[in-house]
Amino acid sequence: MSAYAAEGQVPVIELRHVDKHFGDLHVLKDICLSVQRGEVVVIIGPSGSGKSTLCRTINRMETIDAGEILIDGVPLPEEGKDLAKLRAQIGMVFQSFNLFAHMNILENVTLGPTDVLKRPRKEAREEAMQLLKRVGVESQAHKVPAQLSGGQQQRVAIARSLAMHPKAILFDEPTSALDPEMIGEVLEVMTELAQEGMTMLVVTHEMNFARRVADRVIFMDDGSIVEEGTPEAFFENPQTERARNFLNSIKNH
Amino acid sequence: MQALLTTWKLTAVAFAIAFVLGVLITVMRVSPLKPLRFFGDFYVQIFRNIPGACLLIILVYAFPYLDIIWSYFTCVLIAASLIPAAFCSEYLMTGINAIPVGQIEAARSIGMTFAQMIRKIVVPQALRSSVLPLTNLLVATMLTTALASQVPLRPADLTGLVAHINTHAVGGVTAFFISAMLYCATAVVIGQIGNLIDKKVRILR
Repeated sequence: MSAYAAEGQVPVIELRHVDKHFGDLHVLKDICLSVQRGEVVVIIGPSGSGKSTLCRTINRMETIDAGEILIDGVPLPEEGKDLAKLRAQIGMVFQSFNLFAHMNILENVTLGPTDVLKRPRKEAREEAMQLLKRVGVESQAHKVPAQLSGGQQQRVAIARSLAMHPKAILFDEPTSALDPEMIGEVLEVMTELAQEGMTMLVVTHEMNFARRVADRVIFMDDGSIVEEGTPEAFFENPQTERARNFLNSIKNH
Repeated sequence: MQALLTTWKLTAVAFAIAFVLGVLITVMRVSPLKPLRFFGDFYVQIFRNIPGACLLIILVYAFPYLDIIWSYFTCVLIAASLIPAAFCSEYLMTGINAIPVGQIEAARSIGMTFAQMIRKIVVPQALRSSVLPLTNLLVATMLTTALASQVPLRPADLTGLVAHINTHAVGGVTAFFISAMLYCATAVVIGQIGNLIDKKVRILR
């Protein structure tokens, strides 16, 4: 955990008693969670446990029924200009990359800086090229997304997030749609980001990534946070029956 | 020759109006404001479902009772643009529905406002994937301008001229045949240009 995450600091992301239903289904049950600056929090759990939904509530891609979500101590605004401003400060990387199909790679990365942050085009392009270089796809800058592999597209999506200079980045199962040989290259970029001190909330099934990179692991099941702790504590010595069952079920594969 | 020019002119202006109107209606139909959405849908339901001839007759013969008198050219233009605008909007809606919802979420996640998202993501993609239907619409708009033959437009459009020849001189059938060939030739040219544009701007998915 970084030095900034000391006691008493205002968390970058804080959820207080968040509840959400999809119809009759209670998908988030009294979720309390905070992420400190520079912290890497990994959420794991069986499919349908609500971890993706939790991640999507933080920048209000999903609304909540009750509770409170604060970014840097400020409650999430309602839909509108203020929410757009806030979303510009929180990056999001999606399972299915979601690059803009009609734009080339460079334009995908510069759109936010030029149109949302109103930065000069030239400056935005220069920084975008640096970011593309950092994630290793600078040679693809003038291709369109469909010409890239999944792993390359996801790395571009990460660069698109970084171009906004976000306070934190939410990763919603970033490697789940990738062929196995491409998962490594994306996790590598994410590991570097974590080491550079980026605040990250990662929903994933990649247990090795959680073990190596997370400051804290959160285990969710059936809409609740069942257990949380350091990766060592959680993976070596899970406290709850449900966490033990989950870890056993993935060990068998 | 004059008549062919009139037809082309009507077609070009009507399509331009229909296109702009169609884009506006479509933006209304996807806007977060319910009254705008309702108006957009209402417009499409009305103008997609009225025969052009009917609309023209209303404009030319009924509107004067409301003290609204427009020139024949204006009336033809209005009839031949309001209806294609409804179809234009329908084609664009199809294009919009083809945009994966994830791209909309991505646009929101980088902090784009609704207006920015429409301008930079939604409209460009919808347009680029609607080139072929819009080409068809341009041809259909041209054929709709044949409505002008129903009113004494001066100079007459292609069908109007032919109808005039048919009633005042011999060789009416030949005249209709020639006009059909001219419509056809124009449509083929439009179709080729449409294909070229489509190849250029088509979005790889």
